[in-house]
Amino acid sequence: MLKKSRMIAVALTVFMLAGVLAGCGSKPSGETAKPQKLTLYCGLMEDHMVKAVQEFEKETGIKVDAVRMSSGEIMGRIKAEKNNPKASVWFGGPADAFVQAKEEGLLEKYVSPNAGKIPVQFKDADGYWTGIYNGYLGFVSNQKLLNEKGVAAPKSWDDLLKPEFKGQVVLANPGSSGTAYTMLATIVQIMGEEKGLEYMKKLHGQVKTYPKSGTAPGRMAGQGEAIVGLSFLHDGIKYREEGMKDIILSAPSEGTGYEIGSVAVLKGGPDQEAAKKFVDWALSKKGQELGQQVGSYQFLTNPEAQAPKQAEELKDTKLIKYNLEWAGKNKSDLVEKWNNAIK
Amino acid sequence: MSIIDRQLEEMKKVIRDPILLVTIIAVIISLIIFTLWPIYEVLVEGFLAKDGTFTLKYYQDVFRQSENMRVLGNTLLLGFVVSLFSTAIGFLFAYADAFIKIRFKRLFNVIAILPIVSPPFALAMAFIMLFGQRGFVTYSLLGIKDANIYGFAGLATVQVLAFFPTAYLVLAGLLKQIDPSYEEAARNMGASRWHIFKTVILPLVTPGIANSFLLVFIQTVADFGNAMVIGGNYTTLAAKVYLQAMGNYDIKGGTALATLLLMISVLMFVVQKYWVGGRSYVTVTGKPSRQRELINDPIISWIVGVPCALISLFILVLYILIPYGSFVNLWGIDFTPTLKHYGYVLSLGLKPILDTTYLALLSMPITGIMGMVIAFLIVRKQFIGRGMIEFTSMLSMAIPGTVIGMGYILAYNDEPLVLTGTATIIVLSFLFRNMPVGIRAGVASLQQIDPAIEEAAQDLGANSFKVFTSVTIPLISSAFFSGLVYSFVRSMTAISAVIFLVSASYNLLTVAIMSQVDVGRLGVAAAYSTVLIVIVLAVTGILKLLLGRMGIKINMQ
Repeated sequence: MLKKSRMIAVALTVFMLAGVLAGCGSKPSGETAKPQKLTLYCGLMEDHMVKAVQEFEKETGIKVDAVRMSSGEIMGRIKAEKNNPKASVWFGGPADAFVQAKEEGLLEKYVSPNAGKIPVQFKDADGYWTGIYNGYLGFVSNQKLLNEKGVAAPKSWDDLLKPEFKGQVVLANPGSSGTAYTMLATIVQIMGEEKGLEYMKKLHGQVKTYPKSGTAPGRMAGQGEAIVGLSFLHDGIKYREEGMKDIILSAPSEGTGYEIGSVAVLKGGPDQEAAKKFVDWALSKKGQELGQQVGSYQFLTNPEAQAPKQAEELKDTKLIKYNLEWAGKNKSDLVEKWNNAIK
Repeated sequence: MSIIDRQLEEMKKVIRDPILLVTIIAVIISLIIFTLWPIYEVLVEGFLAKDGTFTLKYYQDVFRQSENMRVLGNTLLLGFVVSLFSTAIGFLFAYADAFIKIRFKRLFNVIAILPIVSPPFALAMAFIMLFGQRGFVTYSLLGIKDANIYGFAGLATVQVLAFFPTAYLVLAGLLKQIDPSYEEAARNMGASRWHIFKTVILPLVTPGIANSFLLVFIQTVADFGNAMVIGGNYTTLAAKVYLQAMGNYDIKGGTALATLLLMISVLMFVVQKYWVGGRSYVTVTGKPSRQRELINDPIISWIVGVPCALISLFILVLYILIPYGSFVNLWGIDFTPTLKHYGYVLSLGLKPILDTTYLALLSMPITGIMGMVIAFLIVRKQFIGRGMIEFTSMLSMAIPGTVIGMGYILAYNDEPLVLTGTATIIVLSFLFRNMPVGIRAGVASLQQIDPAIEEAAQDLGANSFKVFTSVTIPLISSAFFSGLVYSFVRSMTAISAVIFLVSASYNLLTVAIMSQVDVGRLGVAAAYSTVLIVIVLAVTGILKLLLGRMGIKINMQ
């Protein structure tokens, strides 16, 4: 008995060691094999990302590895990996973060042949990033909960401070979420720094939780976890189509900020050729129209691309003149000030 | 004098044995590279200004900002409250298990295993499903409209439910070792049960209580998953480290916070290991001479049994909610059954499932073997550096995952060792984080085996390798395979360290679940979690079955 189990144990040990060695040995060879491939960090919704990757792979034969993170996480990653970048494309998420990444020297300049068609206000003047879509910030509220409280959907920034909304507002963390930072920067641009931070402090008393990703607040409102979520409005439409029937959208009458979802090549990343091909593709009519199939209803930057008809209802949203350069360059500062203000 | 002589003598033996010498050196080097170096990087990073000069700025910032002090206070308060309740409930369960005649004891094992085989924040998710604003209990049953469980109360409750099994396992082990003769002697002299409990049992397990308090404290403080999912505005250090480093991309500030967290954990670990850990009164009495006659007093059974039954039932319900939630359309709004979440997981999210399983399987044998080798060295051999091996290898159990994850990013993104973005870095983090349990099991079973058996083999001419593979390993096979299974399970369910290490090429299930929870897709998260639990149960089940055929029993605890 002892002998038998001993043999089994030895056999298993050898087998496992072999597995270990094989595991270690196989990796380098995997890296030397050279079909074109591409690694990208993505700030879009996961289903949008996966669809885009599949489509791009099919079209070009370039194998893509992609991971979805919030824009703060992406920024943290590329900063940490600066000396040895792992990814070569940053795909999606508000341009504020791209402006900041450009400042920090994390982006590679690339003017795609397709970028010519994109209107100037949607791309970096120096060619470090290019916009792919445009989305408006607003309030995603839950009609059923509003009725229970007997209050109307917020129509202005000040409405959020109503006592009925105490503990019922969800805003993502402006540090980690591009969406929430857009909101913070919008408020400061509308009200000025001092008043704006004061407002954020008051709002803090109304906030239920600060999730790290900007896609969370709208969903939480839709699911009835809170009355109002600060979100990009097109996300609200997506959630409503997914079955959160109680969602109602509104925008502040003072005007609201917006995002220019962008794409950029990361400096020093591997596979720069494939990265450029991807940017070209993301700016193309086909690449931009893809989002609608998986419920991403932003306005598109390529004038030839057909905007989703679902975005129609957002057309009349009043926008401020959002100063992207300013927002991007002051991001760390402003987030820090916000952190101190809400203490 | 003679001690030094003996040590020299032992050292000479080691040096004469090249296989042993090489193994020792390899183990020491790997511990230095993969455990100490990352910690060193974390400690140092916070002292370096952007241009590489020494600065105290980041640490000063940490202590000056009142928000950080609040986060520190939050963390300590949470640790204290959760450890207190977990130990109390754990003790109740342990007492019921060891002393009282009740029928549903098998359930305790299930309860103890569930938190180990599920993602670390599964309970938090289920809790939101039950008690959130649209929770089943709060909204559908009670009609409460403003329920808010995000925050201290929700987080603490979830952590108690997740961590009291640790206390239970520690205390049950101790209570079962108490020789019933003591109680019987006291009973014969007329002492009441309560009096015996107070004057005999409690003093015997006091060190055990302190021990489990500290173990739970370490887990609570390091807990990242629950804090992120249900912590709301009650921020703890473990979550703040991640948010600061990755969310606010302030790595330096993050490392300063991580150092603070590390200090707390290591302090607790040292106290636990060297102060409390050494004070067991129970082992002195040896193994109990016979079985205890279990208490059959209906009043006691009721007082202890009912709370245990209720808690167990509650936990089961929470876990059942997860698969249930994965089959309904939209939790809280539309409960029509659907398979669409599985459609999503299997079409768009298959990669993390495969990656995780593959990497966990890959790291399993390495962890198991290395654990046994280290256990063998610690128990059987005398050499310089033995203490260091023991301390360092066990230390990684106490280091919070967020700290080690950050350390790995800092240490392995630059020359000389570039590992970020590879599978290797994930496997390594699995290896060094999961090894301690295997080592502990190995040490425990080696200590029960007379070294004479190995010496006999050596005298007959076998070298160290031969002795280890053909004598030691078979003798401790149960510990070895338990270590294997445990390492697989832990790899599948880990999150705090690997959230820093996942990459586009290798994404892991727990991270995918976390991001689904974060964006509020509970259905998809529940489906992922269910898949994860099924994989874990399937693999451990198959292993158990195979090993059972060979006559090897494994112990999941």
